[in-house]
Amino acid sequence: MNDHYILKKDHLNSLLRRLMKEYRLVAPTKNPHGDTLFSIIDSIEQAHIDLASQPQGSIKPFLFPQQEVLFDYEHSATIDYHFEHTPDSIPTAFFGVRSCDLSAVLYMDVIFSQKKRDPYYFEKRNEAIIISLACNEPFANCFCNATKTGPFLEYGFDLQLTDLNDRFMVETGRAKGCEIVKRFQHFFEPVEERDSKAQYQAFLEARSHFKQQVHVEQAIKRLAREPIPEEIWESLSLRCQDCGGCAYLCPTCTCFTITDLATSASSGRRIRSWDACTFSGFTRMAGGHNPINSRTHSIKQRFLHKLKYDVQEHGRPSCVGCGRCVGICFGGVDIIRFINKACGQN
Amino acid sequence: MTNSINEIAQAQVILVSGSNTTEAHPQVARRMFDAIDRGAKLIVIDPRRTRLAEHAHIHLAIRPGSDIPLLNAMMRIILDENLADDLFIEMRTENYHALRDMLYQLDLDETAEITGVPLAKISAAAQLYARAQKAVVCYCLGVTQHICGTNNVQSIANLAMLTGHVEKEFTGVDPLRGQNNVQGACDMGALPGHFPSYQPVNTAEYRTKFEQAWGTELSGTPGLSLMEMTHSGPQGAIRGMLIMGENPMLSDPNLKKVEATLKNLDLLVVSDIFLTETAALADVVFPAASFAEKTGTFTNSERRVQMVRQVIPPLGSCRSDGEIIMALSQVMGYDMRYESMAEVMEEIALLAPIYGGMFHDRIEGCWGLQWPCWNRDHAGTSFLHKYYFTRGRGHFVPATHEAAAELPDADFPFILNTGRVYHQYHTGTMTRQSSSLNREASEALLEVNPQDAARLGLRTGDWVELSSRRGSATVKAHITEQVAKGSVYTSFHFPAVAINLLTSDARDPKAQCPEYKVSAVRLEKINP
Amino acid sequence: MKDVLTTCVYCGCGCGVYLHEDQGRICGAFPSRNHPVSRNNLCVKGWNIHEFIHHPARLTEPLLRKAGHLTPVSWDEALTYTATRLTEIRDQTANQGLGVLSSAKCTNEENYLLQKFTRAVLKTNNIDQCARL
Repeated sequence: MNDHYILKKDHLNSLLRRLMKEYRLVAPTKNPHGDTLFSIIDSIEQAHIDLASQPQGSIKPFLFPQQEVLFDYEHSATIDYHFEHTPDSIPTAFFGVRSCDLSAVLYMDVIFSQKKRDPYYFEKRNEAIIISLACNEPFANCFCNATKTGPFLEYGFDLQLTDLNDRFMVETGRAKGCEIVKRFQHFFEPVEERDSKAQYQAFLEARSHFKQQVHVEQAIKRLAREPIPEEIWESLSLRCQDCGGCAYLCPTCTCFTITDLATSASSGRRIRSWDACTFSGFTRMAGGHNPINSRTHSIKQRFLHKLKYDVQEHGRPSCVGCGRCVGICFGGVDIIRFINKACGQN
Repeated sequence: MTNSINEIAQAQVILVSGSNTTEAHPQVARRMFDAIDRGAKLIVIDPRRTRLAEHAHIHLAIRPGSDIPLLNAMMRIILDENLADDLFIEMRTENYHALRDMLYQLDLDETAEITGVPLAKISAAAQLYARAQKAVVCYCLGVTQHICGTNNVQSIANLAMLTGHVEKEFTGVDPLRGQNNVQGACDMGALPGHFPSYQPVNTAEYRTKFEQAWGTELSGTPGLSLMEMTHSGPQGAIRGMLIMGENPMLSDPNLKKVEATLKNLDLLVVSDIFLTETAALADVVFPAASFAEKTGTFTNSERRVQMVRQVIPPLGSCRSDGEIIMALSQVMGYDMRYESMAEVMEEIALLAPIYGGMFHDRIEGCWGLQWPCWNRDHAGTSFLHKYYFTRGRGHFVPATHEAAAELPDADFPFILNTGRVYHQYHTGTMTRQSSSLNREASEALLEVNPQDAARLGLRTGDWVELSSRRGSATVKAHITEQVAKGSVYTSFHFPAVAINLLTSDARDPKAQCPEYKVSAVRLEKINP
Repeated sequence: MKDVLTTCVYCGCGCGVYLHEDQGRICGAFPSRNHPVSRNNLCVKGWNIHEFIHHPARLTEPLLRKAGHLTPVSWDEALTYTATRLTEIRDQTANQGLGVLSSAKCTNEENYLLQKFTRAVLKTNNIDQCARL
């Protein structure tokens, strides 16, 4: 059972300042251009922490950067040796992470620990504290209710905050969250009955405020039962312009590719970069053969991975319903359009 | 562009000519798809069946180089169907009678024959375009890279004026600019005949203005164009060249001539971020800072002047091109010190009227400003030619068909068309060093129609010796319906297949734009 | 670590793109939602725009051809050599023998400076760029 506390909003900045003394603080920030991005906060006064808009990106790039140097290597005719890259991972507190994005981190935890734990991911993940924010008011393209990854979560967070106007309800989840409450206990007050009622009310209201009706369950069932007609794949794939934006923006897309860049004849640098299953080079083998050689197949791979293969593998879809891929696609190919088509709606 | 990119999403009919929009201008294509989802109709004029053409309601797959006959046929049909905008023609244009006389002399069947498109299809497109309330024409290098490029553009302007499809929001003629700052480079007077803001060098009034501002005497004789310089030959008038961020050894037509010119210069100075094919020939190479290492502005296709912001200091001992020029000028005894690029922009605002209101502090605080922007209080201009054309009345210039400089014959039976692919950019100096992009497209492919391929015994992946009268290259074949029978297509990004060894250096006499879209070539399968 | 908004260098669309900087390295790119052109997405080139910046093949020092080979030299040497040779050719050819190619990939300010340099210092109008290519 999670513990519940109250944090008055008046004291939020003060608490964040205390956290900043020990952690690098990352929070959604509205910049002068009006864009809201997860950014490192240098000063609480100067940063405009924005909890009212959906952050445009998730916290994926902080745990799994778009381009990461794995190590520099050097070799000679007689021996092969390399220098491990040892980055200084910085303890980081992520504040204002939404339920969908937190669910995505939980998914990445699973993916990066299959078979062998990925050291590059976990050196950052292990140093992270996640203070999530339950969603009282879903954004325009959100459908986490349908993917069961929000708007409120029961577990996975270190702390979960619920906005109750002048105060936050604070729930402890994992041990690191409990520690924070213990260390800074003078910030937290006990919960009264009206607080619990207010939180329940907020939860009920949030559930009724979704603007998108997305039949994720129905689509999953249909995908498990029968193949989707080729025309649907074709109509979607004709519009795909290969930008990779859906995969890059997606908080659960974790495919990467490895590249060696030579710095001299006998030395180089190995990097890994985000990849996308919609790219034709994703499946092309050395020698040029490509087992998946049509755009239809790559679109299929993307949606089936999210809604079929991961259901088979992990018992749940890997779409967290954040809606970020909706409206950004150059050709209007997004997961909501696909689910609607798969369920026979237009 | 006379319109803004976002206006395209609101158009009712979009006519795209000679533009592989989904690959070369993805954000523009995105607006076209938005428009289609709102019910707009799309007409695509392209010899190739591009991705966009697959979405077209009407695809006019013309023979390469037959743009003028097609547009003339469309205009004639518009006249015959009584769809011309007479009021607009009367109020806003001149020389209409010349166009009308030319069109009435046209034999429609004969004209359609030249284009290779059935007359009924041309008629449907003409009527669709003419009947629309809001119609946009987007065109790109498929229109301009012909010996008759200027006339092609003029014919598009004729069509737009004939139907009154200019001077309104969501309506107009939009050339898509191929490079990030090609608009700005022209605006800034990196042109042989013009000072910044298109003020001719041979007009005494303008020259005096710049002489006073710069404190030195200036030449009033227009200079040489790019190809006149790079093709001047080993004994040409040009003895020394300074090249900043360009790679003519891959981008210019008929590369043998370029190589002969550059190799025989007394001095070649190149400033670039990588050792390009051109820099490798240089006597001096300056290491330039990339866009992430400097401050300045770019002007996009819709004339929007936007900030480029420095993110990191220049790598190693790199310097920005701006700093290099200032330093060089200083050594040569001409004082060209500026505190910052913002100060340079202040001088531009002073001397270039269309940039009159452009200042870094203003551009910094918004999403850029679209020129013309006359002064600090001016909000910029989202679409051009509102109420009046820049030159007064729109002038009709009738144009007639002009065959490409080099047509296929028995020795060279195929038409070679060249262009870009989505994952690469121009000579690939940046994109070929980008591992993700290079993985997607790391070599040139020669697109060949299946019928031709069958005749030549070619399969995808086979090597082909591709030759023209000027040179040859070895390239991998890719069999696809995208190209019409008798035509082949490839890109110019890769030094391994320097396709511009083959291309024709025939060029439009006015715009000096080379005919990259039509060269006669021969294909021979290479047996491994 | 910070995100800095700048303008994409690929094609004339002119998307607003954030470059993600971490300890002096640019390790990612991200579209601007409010930018009128990019509207929260980039094409594949824009998304991967950071990749060439730190490529080991980047030129980092001036090079001068000595005995047939491009050899690293100081800025002073490279600039002095260039200035001397440009002056000689300009004067020997009565301002006719020099040509300058500016770039559609450089900034407006740089294009302005280069055409000013060409006209005011090299005394010629022989300046152009690849608008036609």
